[in-house]
Amino acid sequence: MNRVRSFRYVLCVLVVAVLFPNASALADVSKQTSKSKTPIQHFVVLMQENHTFDNYFGTYPGANGIPAGTCMPVDPSDKTNTDCVEPFHIGDRPIDDLDHSLSTFQMQYNDGKMNGFVYALNQRNQNGAMAMGHYDDSDLPYYWNLADEYVLFDNYFSSDHGGSFANHMYWVSAQPGGNRVSENGYADVATIFDRLEERGISWKFYVQNYDPQITYRSLSQVSGNRASQVIWVPLLNMDRFLDDPKLSSHIVDLNEYFVDLENGTLPEVAYIAPSGASEHPPGSIRSGQKFVKSLIQALMRSNSWDSSAFLLLYDDWGGWYDHVLPPQVDENGYGMRVPGLLISPYARRGYIDSTILDFTSVLKFIEENWGIEPLAARDTQAKSFMSAFDFSMSPREPVFIPFERVVKEQRVEPRRVVIYAAYGGALVFAAFLMIWAAIGLDGFKKLVFAKRLSRSEDSLP
Amino acid sequence: MNIKDLPSVRDRLIPGILSSNRVLIDWRRWDRAVVARVIAIIIVVTVAVGLRVWGLNQLGYNTDEAVYAGQAAAIAKDPTLKEIFPIFRAHPLLFQFVLALVFQFGVSDIAGRLVAVAISLATVYLVYRVGTVLYGQKPGLLAGLFLALMPYHVVVSRQVLLDGPLVFCSTLVIYFLARFAMTERPAWLYLTGVGMGLTFLAKETGIILLGAIYAFLAISHEIRVRIKDMVLSTIFLALMIAPFPLSLLLAGGTRSGKNYLVWQLFRRPNHPWDFYPSTVPEAIGYLVIIAAILGLWFLRHEKSWRERLLLCWIIVPAVFFQIWPTKGFQYLLPIAPPIAVLAGRALARWWPEDISFSGIRISRALIKTTTIGVIALSLLLSSLQIITPATSGTFVAGTGGVPGGREAGQWIANNIPTGATLMTIGPSMANILQFYGHRKAYGLSVSPNPLRRNPSYPPILNPDMQIRNGEIQYVVWDSFSAERSAFFSEGLLRFAKRYHGRVIHTQSVKVFLSDGTTVDKPVIIIYEVRP
Repeated sequence: MNRVRSFRYVLCVLVVAVLFPNASALADVSKQTSKSKTPIQHFVVLMQENHTFDNYFGTYPGANGIPAGTCMPVDPSDKTNTDCVEPFHIGDRPIDDLDHSLSTFQMQYNDGKMNGFVYALNQRNQNGAMAMGHYDDSDLPYYWNLADEYVLFDNYFSSDHGGSFANHMYWVSAQPGGNRVSENGYADVATIFDRLEERGISWKFYVQNYDPQITYRSLSQVSGNRASQVIWVPLLNMDRFLDDPKLSSHIVDLNEYFVDLENGTLPEVAYIAPSGASEHPPGSIRSGQKFVKSLIQALMRSNSWDSSAFLLLYDDWGGWYDHVLPPQVDENGYGMRVPGLLISPYARRGYIDSTILDFTSVLKFIEENWGIEPLAARDTQAKSFMSAFDFSMSPREPVFIPFERVVKEQRVEPRRVVIYAAYGGALVFAAFLMIWAAIGLDGFKKLVFAKRLSRSEDSLP
Repeated sequence: MNIKDLPSVRDRLIPGILSSNRVLIDWRRWDRAVVARVIAIIIVVTVAVGLRVWGLNQLGYNTDEAVYAGQAAAIAKDPTLKEIFPIFRAHPLLFQFVLALVFQFGVSDIAGRLVAVAISLATVYLVYRVGTVLYGQKPGLLAGLFLALMPYHVVVSRQVLLDGPLVFCSTLVIYFLARFAMTERPAWLYLTGVGMGLTFLAKETGIILLGAIYAFLAISHEIRVRIKDMVLSTIFLALMIAPFPLSLLLAGGTRSGKNYLVWQLFRRPNHPWDFYPSTVPEAIGYLVIIAAILGLWFLRHEKSWRERLLLCWIIVPAVFFQIWPTKGFQYLLPIAPPIAVLAGRALARWWPEDISFSGIRISRALIKTTTIGVIALSLLLSSLQIITPATSGTFVAGTGGVPGGREAGQWIANNIPTGATLMTIGPSMANILQFYGHRKAYGLSVSPNPLRRNPSYPPILNPDMQIRNGEIQYVVWDSFSAERSAFFSEGLLRFAKRYHGRVIHTQSVKVFLSDGTTVDKPVIIIYEVRP
């Protein structure tokens, strides 16, 4: 019976091959026309670096920010020591790359007491008080303006207790993959891109200042920040994405993002990894905002905008304070809350979404939107951010968000009533005098008292 | 209770009205002279309206119109334009205030121009009245006809410019002053102060006409002016001017006014010394000027304060603006009404002899009518020519709209994201695109040196940085600005090339070639740029 089925199958394939010699081309077409289940046909996700929600949006009105009266003990283990550090605005103070290793997380987390943020860094010979610093709209005007206009997530958690690598691995595969880059790579880890490739859904991994020579294989020969590329692009740890030209061609320099937008060839799923503008402390958060702005503006002025969604995330907490106890879904996570912003023509306006999410929610959204099977337990259980969209409305027109913070209530409007009163009064006054001059005082009296109208000899016609 | 039942109305107002024997139009009293006058008035009004309304909205606003209409929209609280155009820039706001009243019902370029046209028609009527008061009915009608047809007045009054209202107000002052000179009633002198105040509120440069008033009164000894009346007139003038500083002080615009004054005082000349001699006589009409001059010469035995008044009104602004380094095509418009009156007077008083030519006798009436017809026709043809949209791809400020500017702006409004910022060659195109496109635009040619730029225009301090930071996302090249500044045109195109400039829109206009054929000439090109 199976042989008969196999024979029929082979026969069908041969008939198709004879009748449709360009069948492979047809397959490509089918790839291009694969339909999403929502109006979102292009999903772009950017992973920036190392900030918590409270660090960026702790004072954002209406969000679950820094609680009043917060004061972080300097030594939570010493109950006699009442010294504590209150949250403070960082402003122009120089900042450091705060330690954000797994062990620091555990000390800051302190078995769920969330009171070791200062202490843990002090133990690392750093200024622990810095963990309590936060930014506000004067430092992050663009992000706060984005939050006003689109969706801010205030329950978005990093997926892993640890630092960048594990969280990036969750981002693409829903699995931890370890806390650091392995010398042997991660050949066996299935990623969302394998699924997309199987389903013929277009995808690209855009990397700022991409150097194809820097992979896990060459990591020992690369020094400095450029090695971050291997951490922030987990695919560079997987042999098939390095050796298979078809797969490796999807990992491209960020410049292609702009070209694709101009040409109308933005893929359905696009991951973006930054380079110098990652906001990784002590890097400039202003540069980071400008970088993000360039990406969003390019999307907004492309013809892909009407069917797109752009998600901005931060890969880990970077050692900064956050007051929300992260839910523990397994032994690895969740980690601390991170900022998250969704920009889309279908995003709710000025909406704060408090759904509990993590980096595997990205995978969940892709899986839901394009009908893909989950990769692992984490993305199976994760919630999606569908609630941040309102697909019942027509797509919103693109609006370039200003880089300066403009709070409408604080704007000084010119007092128009003065203009109307002054100039209107002048015209009325002039008209009154003209009538007076034209008909004279007596005539004016006659007009007012409705006596016989007699035309003055020099009246105006 | 019915209003007619009110005691004051029933007992005083209604009997008062009923007892009046005045009849507005008494057809029985019309003779041939009246009919002829009515026909003449109808002709003047018809040509005045026709020339000012025909093809009025064929072209969009030019830069100055965009600024004034933008200010009016900001006063009217238009939600988009009030964010782009500051209310206080350089000039007083009388015209913008009037426009703002119209814009309460919606901002529209045609509505703005119709307001300007209405004011210019009122000016034609005023000139008729001035001519009538000074010299009688016929000179008044001819003066009104000449102004109605005059290219200078026609072209400026079809635009949303301050000079149209300025001329209306200044002509009002001539009228008041003439009435004062005739009656010596102080009320007319006070009104002269009021009129001068309105002239200033229309455009601050009108204040120089104070010099004309002073000169006229100083050389006209037969007109007695009491010091007390002069002081009161000056007080009225000050009261009328007060809205300008008051609104600046109380509505929050002091700084912009001061900056503009300083800049105007020290700016470099923008035109050569012969700018006015080479442009204004042609726009007024050579035949009109010749008629006015010949009238002054041949009727010199009739000289009176009337000619002195008109001559002061011509000479003072002409001399002042010739000396003043900043020149503009429309600045001398206040001299048009007195020239029209002088020309009207000359032709009305001219009474030639009959001519016999090859046995054919040509009557003096025919000669006179033909002469007036020729002058009127020459003005009409010039006006028709000047109000036809320019199609050469070049543009002279103050002469009308900019071909393609409105259309490019509207394309921007429909296709470029809200909040986008554009860089143009100069501020002129920036103003137009801001008005129609509802997007911020900055001119590359605006100098970062505060002494070298109009303070109303913010400069682009570092174009490279602003494009790299995503603060400027579009670059707009236009042939009109490029014609005036090749240097900045090349500079702008360099930025387009350096930052991956991609043409996203080209605005073309039909241009007539010398062989009579037409081609589509690109006049505005919009580039998208990115770091």
